[in-house]
Amino acid sequence: MDDIPALPTTDAAAMTALLAASDRPVVLNVWASWCIPCRSEAPLLRQAQAEFGDRVRFVGVAARDEQDAARAFVAEFGLTSIEHFFDSAGSVPGSLGAVGVPHTFFFAAGGAQVYHHAGAIDEGVLALQIDELLRREG
Amino acid sequence: MEFTLLGAVALAAAGTGGALWFEGGRTNPPGSTRRLVDTALAACLAGLLVGRLASMVAGGSNPLTHPADIVIVRSGVDTGFAALAALLVLVLYGRHDPWATADGLAPAALAGLAGWHLSGVFRDAWLGTPSSLPWAAAQAGSSVTRHPVEVYTALALLVGAVALHLWKRRAARAGMVGAVALLIAAAVRLATEHLRLSLGTGPEWWYAGGVAAAVVALGWRFTATRRREPPA
Repeated sequence: MDDIPALPTTDAAAMTALLAASDRPVVLNVWASWCIPCRSEAPLLRQAQAEFGDRVRFVGVAARDEQDAARAFVAEFGLTSIEHFFDSAGSVPGSLGAVGVPHTFFFAAGGAQVYHHAGAIDEGVLALQIDELLRREG
Repeated sequence: MEFTLLGAVALAAAGTGGALWFEGGRTNPPGSTRRLVDTALAACLAGLLVGRLASMVAGGSNPLTHPADIVIVRSGVDTGFAALAALLVLVLYGRHDPWATADGLAPAALAGLAGWHLSGVFRDAWLGTPSSLPWAAAQAGSSVTRHPVEVYTALALLVGAVALHLWKRRAARAGMVGAVALLIAAAVRLATEHLRLSLGTGPEWWYAGGVAAAVVALGWRFTATRRREPPA
């Protein structure tokens, strides 16, 4: 875990700006280290990033968590290829109308929200929504 | 467990239970329904547990240090290991009369699987690869029409269940209905797998293995019974 740097902090405004500036579609996963479903879907997100990371930007937001616990989570599941941010107040999911964790949001390039999945995501839904994003990009 | 997943389990259980109830006293011996329900339930739970454990280990999560993760079945159940565990329990429960048990459960198992796949419609998990066929469907807000692959699968399994129910009385050789059910279940998944979207490698070889095992079982039952027939 020592080689995982502190996750940069973010909030709703910063995340909106990041999504708007992205020239690639974005899969935004809101998670917390204490959330059991988040632990279960983490390997799927790692797998998806490995397969689609060149065409889709994968962003993780650790919401209502603690830095050390969040870094340990990233290290445990080998999620270092995903861009992670730290949102102790949970303002990012709050601004997107999400309550609790996990949530996975799918955004087209430029920041338009395409789909929102509440709860642990499964392989079929994740693969389908990534395919939707890529086909929208043409 | 999420409500959508609970709904899927309920639909699968309704398919299995409904078929067993319907067949009780018709094509299954009177009084056998309760035993078959217990067998199906045990096989499903064992399959779910072993499939989930296998999926966790493959995903790098240790079930011993994080036992609570086991119940989050939505995040992945390894199909192959789940099927093997379910079959093992089926053999264990039905060891005194394995072929009759397999035949008794066969249409119900297909009906239950059909219910599970049909539940994809309300879990947002029913569409597959893009298609321009007239019945292709698009998800809300999308212009990309896709194969309703889980509906195909559910319909094929349901037709298989009905066909097996109708054939069961005429099937002279014990075990053949069960073997054909395995053949149908594996072949339907194998045939529809290329229409599904997944991350990386799919479990096609498990389904091909299922088809091969079913063909072997069919041949075994056919020849074994023929050998026992008295000489003319």
